[in-house]
Amino acid sequence: MDAVWSGLALGAVYALVALGYHIVFVSSNAFNFAHAQLIMLGTFIVYWGSVTLKLPIGLVFLLAAAIVGGVAVLEERTAIRIVRGTEGQLVTTLGFATLLNGATQVIWGGSPLQVPFFGSSNVLVVLGGHVFPDDLILMGVAVVLTIGFVLVSRMTVLGIALLAVSEDREAALMRGINVRALGIGAFAVSGIVAGLLGPLIGPKTFAVATLGSDLALKGFVAMAIGGFGSAPGALIGGFAVGLIESEAGRYLGASYSNLMIFAVLLGVLLLRPTGLFGHARERMV
Amino acid sequence: MTEPQNGPASPDVTQPPAATGPAASPGAPLLSVNELATGYGDLRVVWDVSFEVRPGQVTALLGRNGAGKTTTLRAIAGLNRVQGGSVLLEGRDIAGLPPHKRIRAGLGFVQENKRVFKRRTVEANLMLGGYTRSIGRKGLMKAVDEIYELFPVLRGRATTTAGQLSGGQQQMLAIGQALMGKPKLLMLDEPSSGLAPSIVSEVMGSVAALKSAGLGILLVEQAVEAAVRVADQIAVLDVGRIVMSGAASEISDLEIIQDAYFGRVRERPQ
Amino acid sequence: MDVLSVARRIPTWLLPLIAAVIVIAFPYLGAQSPVQRQVILICSLALLVSGLNLSLGYAGELALGQAAIYACGAYMTGYLGSHGYTDIVLQLACAIAAALVIGLVTGIPGLRLGGWALAMVSFFLVLLVPDILQLFANQTGGAQGLTGIASPSLLGKTLTPNGFYVFATTVTALWLLVLRNLVTSRHGTAFRVLRENPVLASSVGISVFRMKLSAYAIGAVPAGIAGCIFANLDQYLSPDSFGFALAVSILAASVLGGSASIYGAVVGAVILTLGPLESTSFQQYSLVVYGLLLLVGGIVLSIGIAGVLQRVWARVQRRWLPPARSAPYEGDLLPRTEGTALSVDHLVKSFGGVNALQDVSLVAQPGQVTALIGPNGSGKTTLLNLICGYYRIDGGTISVGKEQTTHRPYRIARSGVARTFQTPSIPREITVAEAVRAGRYATQRAGFVPAVLRLPSYRRARASDVEEARRVLALVGLADQENEIAASMPLGTRRLLEVARCVIARPKVLLLDEPASGLDENEVERLAGLIRKISDSGGTVVLVEHNFRLVLSVADQIYVLARGQIIAEGPPSVIEVHPEVLTEYLGVRVPEADDLLRTPSEVADND
Repeated sequence: MDAVWSGLALGAVYALVALGYHIVFVSSNAFNFAHAQLIMLGTFIVYWGSVTLKLPIGLVFLLAAAIVGGVAVLEERTAIRIVRGTEGQLVTTLGFATLLNGATQVIWGGSPLQVPFFGSSNVLVVLGGHVFPDDLILMGVAVVLTIGFVLVSRMTVLGIALLAVSEDREAALMRGINVRALGIGAFAVSGIVAGLLGPLIGPKTFAVATLGSDLALKGFVAMAIGGFGSAPGALIGGFAVGLIESEAGRYLGASYSNLMIFAVLLGVLLLRPTGLFGHARERMV
Repeated sequence: MTEPQNGPASPDVTQPPAATGPAASPGAPLLSVNELATGYGDLRVVWDVSFEVRPGQVTALLGRNGAGKTTTLRAIAGLNRVQGGSVLLEGRDIAGLPPHKRIRAGLGFVQENKRVFKRRTVEANLMLGGYTRSIGRKGLMKAVDEIYELFPVLRGRATTTAGQLSGGQQQMLAIGQALMGKPKLLMLDEPSSGLAPSIVSEVMGSVAALKSAGLGILLVEQAVEAAVRVADQIAVLDVGRIVMSGAASEISDLEIIQDAYFGRVRERPQ
Repeated sequence: MDVLSVARRIPTWLLPLIAAVIVIAFPYLGAQSPVQRQVILICSLALLVSGLNLSLGYAGELALGQAAIYACGAYMTGYLGSHGYTDIVLQLACAIAAALVIGLVTGIPGLRLGGWALAMVSFFLVLLVPDILQLFANQTGGAQGLTGIASPSLLGKTLTPNGFYVFATTVTALWLLVLRNLVTSRHGTAFRVLRENPVLASSVGISVFRMKLSAYAIGAVPAGIAGCIFANLDQYLSPDSFGFALAVSILAASVLGGSASIYGAVVGAVILTLGPLESTSFQQYSLVVYGLLLLVGGIVLSIGIAGVLQRVWARVQRRWLPPARSAPYEGDLLPRTEGTALSVDHLVKSFGGVNALQDVSLVAQPGQVTALIGPNGSGKTTLLNLICGYYRIDGGTISVGKEQTTHRPYRIARSGVARTFQTPSIPREITVAEAVRAGRYATQRAGFVPAVLRLPSYRRARASDVEEARRVLALVGLADQENEIAASMPLGTRRLLEVARCVIARPKVLLLDEPASGLDENEVERLAGLIRKISDSGGTVVLVEHNFRLVLSVADQIYVLARGQIIAEGPPSVIEVHPEVLTEYLGVRVPEADDLLRTPSEVADND
């Protein structure tokens, strides 16, 4: 049961990365490879705020949200807006991620930094397995965010507009929806959320600049499993990846974790490319 | 005068629409298109097109496929770049406005092929139509109700996904969605395509009712007869140019339109 | 003027060749060990970048797994070297073989994915490198690294450092030569067409699957070579050398030097290796620099320094050294062709329950222009796509001559069916002549190996390509523009280019998909004349058009398609006054077709 909890906890992080991908994908039809790196940036900001500046936790949340949100807007302006097309955006978002990676290492050095958790660090025993309160909160946040996203997108006019944009961008323009502004806004929101997750993810993963690419890839696998264009899919996909990683590590050995994830990725992409809940795209010549 | 077969649902219309009556409102044109040239990328499909739409009138844009009718509408809506000429909405040059701003300026566009959001419900589609109006949720629901008055068949399907509606119902939803934006000028791209004749009459009846309500309507159609019945002005496009235009009342012979369709220039009998 | 005419005759490969010879001779020109090491590192990176350039810059696929294949080649070499197999040629061969296997194995699933999925899968491989090395820790030394790699030997004698240097640089230069020969051959153009538009590629007879797989496999080879060199350089391997930083630096060097360029690989490698990053105080900024390069470079897309320089150089060349114009073509512009009849019998096609085509039959005879007209949604495009093999037939048959067609676009293209597209998509960097020559790919086959080795069979094929291109360009009146960049030509010219590209292969059937759309009256006239010439010389021409005047003036037989069925067929004089056609186009109900002669008010009174 310990492995299950640790798998779910990891999975929550992957799910949150995938949700970040999802928000941007739905609103701008772009894949932001740098999202995981934004989350990592958040953890560094939290370290800076909590340990270096010794600010109260509330201010740290705000600080992280503001800075990472701002960086996200900067990314949208440079990496996404100007560049059209998958290939170009891959290069620019990868470039932005690398840039953030390098910048954080320059500022804070290359060693992992310990980020304090604002709550209790005492391990709990739930359902026969050990789990940290931080991990439970992360899982809860992932579920709540997913539910929240689904509700907002179904019930509010803005949310419906967002879904409409991802379904048919031109028709959305013809309803007077400012598709461009929506895209920027969603991108900023994804950045703000990434920042707000800093105080929760940082204590778990430490502030490590190089973790960004690992999270980015596994977040992608989460989306592949759950289906592109589905928030519940991102959640379930994330938990699935986390569980695969921890169970494979437990039964086969640590070196097999990533291999199993890779095998699942290949399997899903070849056998069921739309994932569990994704939308089938029509073949067009 | 013919009686409408299946009359429009609006209770205001008791008289059949007059296809040959004089223009209802005088004054400045709502839409003024002058020597418009447009296309896709550097592909020029429309070379020189000029026409007007006045409030309370229907201008019908006719022509075969590939003539450039849809391309013209798209240029007015801002989806294609204007490569020459001008487009004036209420006297204002809108060529520099992005599409969503033109909608806010009073333009409504019902695109061809019943282009609604097929994965959203009927109600969501209609609410989205009212995106530009700042009347709050209650106001929106009221406006949605008005659309149900116009198209009662949608009321019972408020929670159905738009993709599951029939062609005719989707067309009505598309028109209703555009009307939710309270446009001054409504552009309709082949609303009758793929519809059974009885539904076509219904749709054209609604168009006539909208005309009476003061909207200016730009109607692009392949079904010439139905369009000519409801139009005040007619313009025929061929290979990107207007080959014939005039008031509907002055066109006494459908053969003239036929010639225009086939690219033959004919002297009009004086 | 003498200087210019001499300069005109200098082949473009002379300068790089001289540079390569000088670099290889460095040890004998006094270069010491530190300089030699830098050069070898540059060679290593240049090899890696060249592999990426082939799949990214030319084939357009973002396959980022070079770092993993590099590791594979390096560890293969290291394993051999630490177990007594020090012959460097053996090591090289094994490294290349291992690289090819990995390249093919990861390439095959990658082909089905494309786009983001391919990039992610290949990037994931880099993540797996430390894990796989750990799993085979006995052979690879795991996280501790592989030590005890003996010095390489050649023909039984241990290589001196100078000897190793010469070997490494020579192998690199040879590989770049191979690549250069490949991309300047018609295969290079084929790659570019593949990148631009896979549909266009299959219409000129390129098997998209095979081409992409070739690009991967060939792109994997230099990574293997680089691994072999690297393993022997320090005689020590550690997993840390093969991580994300390396993968990103390869991409950055590619973008910097120009992804669609062979020499650009060298330029990028030189700049990244020798740049200020080498000084230790700047080491920590390396990621920042790579990131900025990718960001800025990505924004400028695949035009790196080499690309910009290439364009500037091309412009200079054209001003001061205009390329010799080919002499005007003397000969039959349109030799008599044996066109074949195209027949469509009772064709049925539906998409998800909706009937697109119901029982459609038509015949296009050689020597005639057969036109297909009809409103949007009538099924014209579906019919055309079925003829070209993009969709599966649900019922009925399509035959070119006596043979029925299959559901493989490139096979249909190779059997002699040529097609133009409404939106001509032409790769950006090629000239008009190269674009037209691409049309020969379908029917004139030539392998990779003859192209790379410049065998006589290749040279012959090339000479006839050039000759035929001159002929068709003269035919469509574009002979003067043969050295212009194709994509920068106006639309009318590009349309004619499309037709020329189709005609060069002497197709059995020529399909023209709305060639007149967007053309002005003069251009339409020119097009009409060309169409008539082609059919008069015996070709089978099928014309899909909206421009009624054009159709009436060139067509011999017209088929009218509406709502998935043929509603009328016949010569122009018949179609022009056919009542059903009028109905379809005017949208008047059939019984009222006769009423067209009456006035609207008369019709109304009778209702």
